[in-house]
Amino acid sequence: MLGVMLIAPCVLIFCAVIVYPLVSAVYLSLFNIFTPTLQGNFVGLQNYAELFAGEEFWRSLLNTLIWTVCTLFLQVVLGVAAALMLHQAIVFRALARSLILFPYFVSTVVAVLVWRWLFNDLYGILNHLMMWSGLLQMPLDWLGSMPNAMVSIVLVGAWKYFPFVVIAILARLQTIPDQLYEAATIDGAGAWSRFTDVTLPQLKDVLMVVVLLRAIWDFKEFDLIYLMTGGGPLIATQTLPLMVYKEAFGLDAMGRATAVAVAMMAVMLVFMVLYLRRMGKEEAR
Amino acid sequence: MSAAGVTFTRVRKAFGEAVAVKGLDLAIRPGEFVSLLGPSGCGKTTTLRMLAGLEFPTSGEIMIGDRVVNDVAPGKRDIAMVFQSYALYPHMTVGENIAYPLKKQGMAKAERATQVARIAAMLKLEALLDRKPRQLSGGQQQRVALGRALVRSPKVFLLDEPLSNLDAKLRAHMRAELIELHRTLGRTFVYVTHDQLEAMTMSDRIAVMEGGELRQFAPPREVYDRPANLFVAGFIGTPPMNTLPGGFTDGTFSHPAITARFTVTGAPARVVLGVRPEDVLIGQGPHRATVRVVEPTGHETIVMLDAGGSPLTARAPAEASLNPGDAVSFALRAEKLHLFDAESQARLDARAVTLGESE
Amino acid sequence: MKRVAFNLMAWTIVLVTAFPLIWMVITSVKPQFELFRIPPTFWPEEITFEHYRRLLWETPFLTFMRNSLILSFSTTVLVVAVATLGAHSLVRFRYPGRERLAQLVLFTYLLPSVVLILPLYLMMVWLGVANSLLSLVIAYTSFALPYALWLLRSFMQGIPDDLESAALVDGATRMEAFFDVILPQALPGIISTSLFTFILSWNEYLYALVLVNTDSARPLTTGVMSMLVSSFNIEWSLLMAASVMMSVPLIIIFAVLQKYLTRGFGAGGVKG
Repeated sequence: MLGVMLIAPCVLIFCAVIVYPLVSAVYLSLFNIFTPTLQGNFVGLQNYAELFAGEEFWRSLLNTLIWTVCTLFLQVVLGVAAALMLHQAIVFRALARSLILFPYFVSTVVAVLVWRWLFNDLYGILNHLMMWSGLLQMPLDWLGSMPNAMVSIVLVGAWKYFPFVVIAILARLQTIPDQLYEAATIDGAGAWSRFTDVTLPQLKDVLMVVVLLRAIWDFKEFDLIYLMTGGGPLIATQTLPLMVYKEAFGLDAMGRATAVAVAMMAVMLVFMVLYLRRMGKEEAR
Repeated sequence: MSAAGVTFTRVRKAFGEAVAVKGLDLAIRPGEFVSLLGPSGCGKTTTLRMLAGLEFPTSGEIMIGDRVVNDVAPGKRDIAMVFQSYALYPHMTVGENIAYPLKKQGMAKAERATQVARIAAMLKLEALLDRKPRQLSGGQQQRVALGRALVRSPKVFLLDEPLSNLDAKLRAHMRAELIELHRTLGRTFVYVTHDQLEAMTMSDRIAVMEGGELRQFAPPREVYDRPANLFVAGFIGTPPMNTLPGGFTDGTFSHPAITARFTVTGAPARVVLGVRPEDVLIGQGPHRATVRVVEPTGHETIVMLDAGGSPLTARAPAEASLNPGDAVSFALRAEKLHLFDAESQARLDARAVTLGESE
Repeated sequence: MKRVAFNLMAWTIVLVTAFPLIWMVITSVKPQFELFRIPPTFWPEEITFEHYRRLLWETPFLTFMRNSLILSFSTTVLVVAVATLGAHSLVRFRYPGRERLAQLVLFTYLLPSVVLILPLYLMMVWLGVANSLLSLVIAYTSFALPYALWLLRSFMQGIPDDLESAALVDGATRMEAFFDVILPQALPGIISTSLFTFILSWNEYLYALVLVNTDSARPLTTGVMSMLVSSFNIEWSLLMAASVMMSVPLIIIFAVLQKYLTRGFGAGGVKG
């Protein structure tokens, strides 16, 4: 009885700000609503029909997938490498860790401002460094043309979120018993095979969870892409969350926007169910 | 302010599908030291937690003294409990840990200090009162847990495997201290353990449990000498009692290596003969066996024999020179033989009269 | 020798990673004219705090800062208080639907904001609180509460059951056991959770973008971006100064309370 009373505030807030909006989103997606007046009429599944018939939804979905896969891949590779590096004894390790982790905690707004300044075509240091080192002949338009814009957001995404992988992997590395490495050394394993035969198998579980979690979070990323490119040039880097925003507040089509959001969530459900299953298994252990 | 008895009447506890305790009837006398003994999962801890009020019985009745406590909160049952993990409050000092039950009773601060000092003196904890639990050794933590239980002078002490986290030497020492404590306090102790040595040495009576059921409730000597069934026979004693299945006709037990005549009434056709290793006398006698394994322990030698296809363990003097493969003769102490019904596993009231080798 | 080479390599990587943030600080103290030098200078030839002065006194930055502080503090206090009780209930009590509820929490923790934001926007309009800090506090609970609940639940699962049992046997009621024993044990977890909730709220952008469009109620994230958009030509030194100022609370948390951050991480989404 007391237990139910203690959880009650949580449940009430959940219903108000999550369950109700969720149900409401599905409901709204069946209407044609003009955003400024919030007036609308019931149109059934027409929003979805238009969406799936049109090209923009599929293009945005494809963009979302490209962004998610590329940035996630970089995050994992960089994250694992950096974690292995930081796991070694290096001088001022605590400071090195803080510096590596900081991008993750800094606001996306700050990250974007800094990178847009770095990417600046006239005064940005990146173009200058690359021209100075001979990698580029001409200043590059990092954000205004394709495929540069996609490459840019993928890179910034990797920079901002790879520390998440670092922390997770680092925590796991610290729990691998030294005896495993000693045993492997006695069995004649070299440095590389100690890594592939001892470290990697131990990291498999946590990597799985990290990949799922980051896949979900990258898939729904709005701030970073919206602030970097706004989806441009044209809709070349427009992902699904950006499309929702544009439909709702750019094109004033609230109903169609919710339809995009609901469709996007349906795609995400696959990952979410996988993750929940995974966590369910961990709980049982 | 005195000891109280504890009575379980048809107490049943189910966790969903799984039944932990199946209709337990148990009456513990005031001031008695009772051990609940059994393998893990036998329901002994659940029984203790129900007595503490931390679990609620699915059905049945629990009484402390003459009060039904089914609906009484743990803190109002006039009990104290020592946990296997000690469960000391990590953020409180030793003194605060011991004083906590008194604080919850609403005792004034000065009075609490006196009581804590009394307990600390009793358990030699005076020097540690300002330390935090994590600064203590396992043995010291154990004493603090004991102190926190003692301080409120409860009617019944509940102890859940309190010694299992100590090393062997300290454990032997604490056993003696607990016996002494029980004697001086004169309170009821209910002690959960899976260690038969603890149960045998400390208890007035042992309640042997298995699979959520009570298998025997008797003084240690009786549990050892007259096990009520095959489970108790096999669970108590190291090495355990030998059990030899055989036929039974006209008062005669027959096994490939052993025959024995019993005076018994109404025995079934299939029985199990039980004999403790110390009652198997190697050297001479009517029975024959082959030595399989010899394990010298220092003060004696454990010998594993093959008697007519059945394994048979014997205790031999340390100086006995035996080698695997030796053929030996042996005798059994007739007055120490046990007979069990192979079907119901229950003890049969039987006395052996003559022993001989089978043909 | 190998050690030195490895250290050198490791620190090069660390510095490259940190370079954008280092560059942010350097830019913020360069005089305006030096910014547009081609090629750019690395070390400022002259250090100036002019941009900080202008940021604080000539822009609405301080209003945004105040809004962000109020917003993040209120969200954190509300969410952590509610979630602490809820997590205690999820971990120590038995009632039908408890497991389902825990799963639901994890599910909502993954939910994309863009799905919730349009109905929430309608809700705020309907409630008549649109365009206020209150609307943001309400909206922020939608992501902060599942997060805090999940984090605290993992922390509380790490507190042994026996502690509460001991307190109950010692005469405490369940609420007393919670305050006397569970709460002090959960304190490090509560601190971690508060920090994470604070950072999440401090950094939030999308809800603030949709729900608030007056400077008086804007938090830093949307406020600073609106400064970027509204100004005729982009004043990078001002924006870099703003970025540094925005990161100050994080730097403080990082320097002082880092162990709580890493602890929270282990308990959060990665491990059960």
